[in-house]
Amino acid sequence: MKKFINDPQQFVPEMLEGIALANPDTLRYLPEYNLLMRADSPREDKVSIVQGSGSGHEPAHVMIVGKGMLDAACPGDVFAAPPMDYVYETTKKLASPKGVLLLVNNYTGDRMAFDMGKEMAEAEGIRVEILTINDDVAVKDSLYTVGRRGVAGNFFVIKAVGAASEQGADIEELLRIGNKVNDVTRTMGVALTSCTPPAKGSTLFELGEDEIEMGVGIHGEPGRKRMKMTNADAIVDELLEAVVTDLPYSSGDDVALMINGLGGTPISELYILYRRAHQKLTEQGIKVTRSYVNEYCTSLDMAGASLTLVKLDDEIDALLGAPAEVAVRVF
Amino acid sequence: MSGTALQQVELVVRTIAQTAVDNEKYFGDLDAVVGDGDFGYSLARGFEKVLEGWDDIDRTDVGAFLKKIGMIVTSRIGGTSGPIWGTAFMKAGISAGPANELSGEQVVAMLRAATDGIKARGQSDVGDKTLLDALVPMTDAIERELASGADHAAVLAVAATTARTAAEATSELVARRGRASYTGERSRGSVDAGAMGVAVIVERISHAWTTEGAS
Repeated sequence: MKKFINDPQQFVPEMLEGIALANPDTLRYLPEYNLLMRADSPREDKVSIVQGSGSGHEPAHVMIVGKGMLDAACPGDVFAAPPMDYVYETTKKLASPKGVLLLVNNYTGDRMAFDMGKEMAEAEGIRVEILTINDDVAVKDSLYTVGRRGVAGNFFVIKAVGAASEQGADIEELLRIGNKVNDVTRTMGVALTSCTPPAKGSTLFELGEDEIEMGVGIHGEPGRKRMKMTNADAIVDELLEAVVTDLPYSSGDDVALMINGLGGTPISELYILYRRAHQKLTEQGIKVTRSYVNEYCTSLDMAGASLTLVKLDDEIDALLGAPAEVAVRVF
Repeated sequence: MSGTALQQVELVVRTIAQTAVDNEKYFGDLDAVVGDGDFGYSLARGFEKVLEGWDDIDRTDVGAFLKKIGMIVTSRIGGTSGPIWGTAFMKAGISAGPANELSGEQVVAMLRAATDGIKARGQSDVGDKTLLDALVPMTDAIERELASGADHAAVLAVAATTARTAAEATSELVARRGRASYTGERSRGSVDAGAMGVAVIVERISHAWTTEGAS
């Protein structure tokens, strides 16, 4: 294993410290709870939006704390749900009179931690709601879930509720919007390689030199099938078929198309995937009106990608187009 | 045992923690029959943390104390046992609130809050071959005995025998929740490790109440 680490146990804290040092005016870091929050949160006139999950998926979620996105991120260790006392303390720190909305990807450990944190905070009079994200079409149940997993599509839910909360939406309205976006968002991923958790020091699972895992989860969990490596277009066709037929998306729909890198794939390759997906959708009469090609939700250093579609209407389109400022800056 | 409500709650929690640590191997062996054998280890590691940090736990009131115990237990016990056991302490703490005195009714309400919390968290109920099969009959017995005016030591003695009988009876059940449920019919014929854990713990509490109760 060759990685830029000091102590594997300090992987998450040192990363968080780095993000905080790079964004001194906009972010606050509370190391005792792994908590990264906007310096101007909580606000009396705004529902606080919090996302928590295991680490290892950066930039999700610690690097998308900022105006128009998250008020705070509550990460656990690599691929491990945050402890419930972190969730509880985070919720207390972010308590606003308008409430706290906790966005949770559908994994058993995360749901338990957030359910308990919510109950504890509610006992102290804080208004808390949970919105569960489950956009992965690959498998019905997985190693860590009952029901579908939450993967890269969580970006769109965060973006939409983040924008709406800036505009003053109350917590019921945010639940409606978040559930609506989740309901029209579908994702499937593919792994070309395994990934290496720093504390483990070796690859999480074995994948042969000529093999790929179709439908892989963002923790390297098994997907639909293991198959022989093939060319980019054939891989896109398989991902797209699974995603398009699931909702289904159909001719006449406007969609957002995301090609998300899983951490170890160059952006150039992501655009090769994007090209085919865009062309195939156009052939099917599905119009791509919003495009996202980058790393949004990764699996450490895994080579691979996921494809996400969101069916757009005027409301969702406007929220996705609203301004946002986050720690991942490219300008 | 006399003393304040907080002192009584401390005795109960400390006895639970010590019993879990002392019975690591026994609880693990019970679980290994049809589960994955990690129950004793998980419980011991979590309650070790409770004992290690014992003097620093928030003692503002009974509610704050129990909620803090719930958080330690949830975060430090691995697998699903952490959230399940942690929920019980957390719900009991929320139910107690800022109390410094506890009536019999409040104690029963705390136990009901704990068992209802376990049911919700684990999506399970009596008859699924879990710790609920000992906890719920025990709570029923405590409620009955308190209503009849029995003293605390007598209530606890009945709670202990009820939990033991109920835990033994889980060998007749087929596991429908937890890791043991994967074995289906094969789980019949052996007791549930969680239910037996509860029985052993309540027996120790009953004993401690009469022997350490001089404060």
